[in-house]
Amino acid sequence: MKNNHTPPHWADRLLETFLSPHMLEDVQGDLHEVFYKRVSEVGLAKARREYCWAVLQYLSPYFFKALNQSSKSTIQHVIDYPSPSLLNPAMISNYVKIAWRNIAHNKSFSTINILGLALGMACCFMIILWIQDEFRVDAYHANGPQLYNVMERQFYDGKVDAGRGTPALLADELKKEFPEIVYAAGLSWEEERTFSVGDKLNKEKGRWAGADWFKMYSIPLLAGTAETALNAPSNIAISRKLAENYFGSPQAAMGKSIRIGNKEDYQVSAVFDVPLASSVTYDYLLSWKDMISHNEWLKDWGTNAPETRIQLAVDRNGNTVHPARLEAKMKSFLKSRNPSIAKSGSDIQLFLQPYQEAYLYSNFKNGYQDGGRIEYVRLFGIVAVFILLIACINFMNLATARSVKRAREVGVRKVVGAGRGWLIGQFIGEALVLTCLALLIALATVWLLLPTFNSLTEKHITFQLTDASFWIILAGMTLVTGLIAGSYPALFLSSLNPIRVLKGTVKFSSGARLFRQGLVVFQFALSLLLIIGTIIVYRQINFIQTKNLGFDREGMIYVSSEGELGTKYNTFKEQLLQMSGIQSVTKMDGTPTNGFGSTGNVQWPGKDPKASIQFQFSKVDYDFTKTLKVKVKGRDFSKTFGADSTSYLINETAARRIGYNDPIGKPLTLWGKPGTIIGVIADYHQSSMHTAIEPFIAKLGDGQIIIVRIQPGQTKQALTSLETLARQLNPKFPFRYRFADEAFQTLYRSETVVGSLANYFAFLAIFISCLGLFGLAAFTAEQRTKEIGVRKVLGASVLSVVALLSQDFIKLVLIAIVISSPIAWFGMSRWLQEYVYKIDISWWIFALAGLLAIGIALLTISFQSIKAALMNPVKSLRSE
Amino acid sequence: MGEFEEIVLLVVAACPEEAYGVNIWEDVQQQTGRSITMSAVHATLYRLEEKGYLASTMGGATAERGGRRKRFFVLTALGVQALNDIQEMRNRLWQAIPPGKFQLIGG
Repeated sequence: MKNNHTPPHWADRLLETFLSPHMLEDVQGDLHEVFYKRVSEVGLAKARREYCWAVLQYLSPYFFKALNQSSKSTIQHVIDYPSPSLLNPAMISNYVKIAWRNIAHNKSFSTINILGLALGMACCFMIILWIQDEFRVDAYHANGPQLYNVMERQFYDGKVDAGRGTPALLADELKKEFPEIVYAAGLSWEEERTFSVGDKLNKEKGRWAGADWFKMYSIPLLAGTAETALNAPSNIAISRKLAENYFGSPQAAMGKSIRIGNKEDYQVSAVFDVPLASSVTYDYLLSWKDMISHNEWLKDWGTNAPETRIQLAVDRNGNTVHPARLEAKMKSFLKSRNPSIAKSGSDIQLFLQPYQEAYLYSNFKNGYQDGGRIEYVRLFGIVAVFILLIACINFMNLATARSVKRAREVGVRKVVGAGRGWLIGQFIGEALVLTCLALLIALATVWLLLPTFNSLTEKHITFQLTDASFWIILAGMTLVTGLIAGSYPALFLSSLNPIRVLKGTVKFSSGARLFRQGLVVFQFALSLLLIIGTIIVYRQINFIQTKNLGFDREGMIYVSSEGELGTKYNTFKEQLLQMSGIQSVTKMDGTPTNGFGSTGNVQWPGKDPKASIQFQFSKVDYDFTKTLKVKVKGRDFSKTFGADSTSYLINETAARRIGYNDPIGKPLTLWGKPGTIIGVIADYHQSSMHTAIEPFIAKLGDGQIIIVRIQPGQTKQALTSLETLARQLNPKFPFRYRFADEAFQTLYRSETVVGSLANYFAFLAIFISCLGLFGLAAFTAEQRTKEIGVRKVLGASVLSVVALLSQDFIKLVLIAIVISSPIAWFGMSRWLQEYVYKIDISWWIFALAGLLAIGIALLTISFQSIKAALMNPVKSLRSE
Repeated sequence: MGEFEEIVLLVVAACPEEAYGVNIWEDVQQQTGRSITMSAVHATLYRLEEKGYLASTMGGATAERGGRRKRFFVLTALGVQALNDIQEMRNRLWQAIPPGKFQLIGG
């Protein structure tokens, strides 16, 4: 009632802003006194009008603050209160005491708060560590800024493709041709070869590399020098691991001989230790001369296989040669060496990619850079921010919901003279203290989970306590979290009106409630985004892994045809087929899911002379379609037909590209050898689902990988048969095999990792959100104790009370579903665009995610609401 | 000293209770019969204080003004002196008026 009998608020505010402070109290007092007198004389409305008018009269320079510096001095004693400092020890100890009592008094709330924050921070910290580690990859080279990868941009068949494969001769030729290049080295694909030293026998993975390799890259050498490591054909540089395994120590290894493939001997010329942060790994490096002599076909400028790396020169002023200028000069270098490029009507251009970017920006689309791992880095960065925000919102929600309890404290503090700024400081300080507690728990959690996380992501992340950035991240995260989490409660609580608070009639404005509800909606929308994303990623991975590839990858084994297995392959095959568990055996180049190579040199009558179509090709053995279990129209290669050396199998895509209606029996020329098509095999996926099925040609020949089809259910017998026979025929080589479905899984390594990480993070997000919801539900139930008591006395059932308490929250979750669904749909359809073969985003995914969220929310709330509904009304109403 | 200042000063001097903004303002209006804004009275009071004719002290907290204290004004010796000076000057002037002149004009 009295509320209405006050002078207009705005007029008072106006007065307070412009009136000189030393005059304010008595002038305003006088005005108020007159106002109240006038209210009883002439009524409220007129009194208020008069008051406003009177206030406006004070808008004269005399009363303005700024102009009253001189007059202030004469009346200074009026405002000269001692001002207590915020940093007064007594105040600080008071703040700490109150903060501690608040934590200790509401154990459940404090636990929810700290736990939520700790989980959020742990999650965020882990992701930051991961991101930091991603940026460290390949960033350790002293010459880093000068290092570039030479890549090819191929224009053919109306398409543009970028690739890392280059001619093997390119590195040396580039170095000779361009003075801007100081060092250049090739790097081959990875090969697994059999090493023997004395009676030690093992398979090792390594590569060939150019002679400049160790001069360009800062790879620590434990023995040997960068100049001599790879300069002779029989040199081999090995890793510390190999040196210790075979020779005991790096020093002992130097100059010793290693036999590779039971054929050639190499001398150890250097021992290196590749840092963990390297994107390419190898246990040995052989020289480039050795590479060329082993792979005669690499002398041709038309083949593209190894990578080419260069280091740019630095001029006298320390500036690197401008890469764009060099790129322009190099662009048509390949045409000058390989005249057949121009003849074929296609074009191949060289371009440069900074070496340090190559790891994160590895994808090329239509010949130009397009994302790569950096997308995952960004994605997880966003997830980290989301989860931290969700945790902060929990804190904000619980703190404001519980502010009734602290309103009195705020009132008393204000009455005894606390300014708003101090109160804000106090509450943010409290939030920071809680955040610090949460940080300790978060650090412990991360420390415990790091080994699991490392094995999941194949990283070697550790706590680098000596690294300044580690501490900066920690401090920054704590500060940001504390400030965000503490900001709203601090602003809200400090704005309370002490008079009303101390009268005990705290009624929060609908704005504050709305804000709180908005926060819950936001929280759930974020959680839903993560849930929907996870479902879609999971379904896509599932789709990839269960999709019919066109061949049967279950029960198929790859064995490398090394040594005697290569030379005595026919004996091996014959004997193997006699043994138990083996259904059929064949051989091909590469594996069905990891193609060997492609060629454009395919001719047929009526081919458009300008068309240049790339065909995947492989040399295969008899029983190819039988072993792979691929459907074939026409026939497979067969010994009953003598002339099969010029017969070709093509896949359906190839048939379509060639344009034959009935291809069987039609002519086809591969590499200048005319032949006929004997069969069309059903399309099968030769690569991951990221790429479309390409035209494919198979011809009879000597492939590299032996493919064995196992009798269903007899895997054990088949492996024993294989191993016995391999040992017997090929004693100088260790027996190694690989299951086809395992090899297939590795194609989706990053998807699987991302999928399981997304799983964990979505779970965490919803868990933290629920923690907050749990707290809020507890708070509302507590606030409405009396209402529930009255309802029960009047005959409400338990169910109706539970429904009453739940419906508010369910509404919020529903709004969150409506908001997040389109965003999730947009984001996920962009992600799916990376796949040629993909699932549809159907409506039920959103429905499922929504139901899941509602279900989880209901479950969370139900505990509190049922508890409240079951309470005896006598107890809750007793105190009234 | 201006006329209005003199009036305010006189009202403060004449006030039977402790003089503060509101009762001074009311008295000034009552004595002069004019409608005067409170801001004019306040401005004058502060100006007189600056000139040293008035001194002020803050009173105790009061209920009816939202807890705000009143500022009580009292005359300083200088203020009394000034009023006396004016009064003396007036008296001198009054005495200088030739007797019977007012009857002539006032007719």
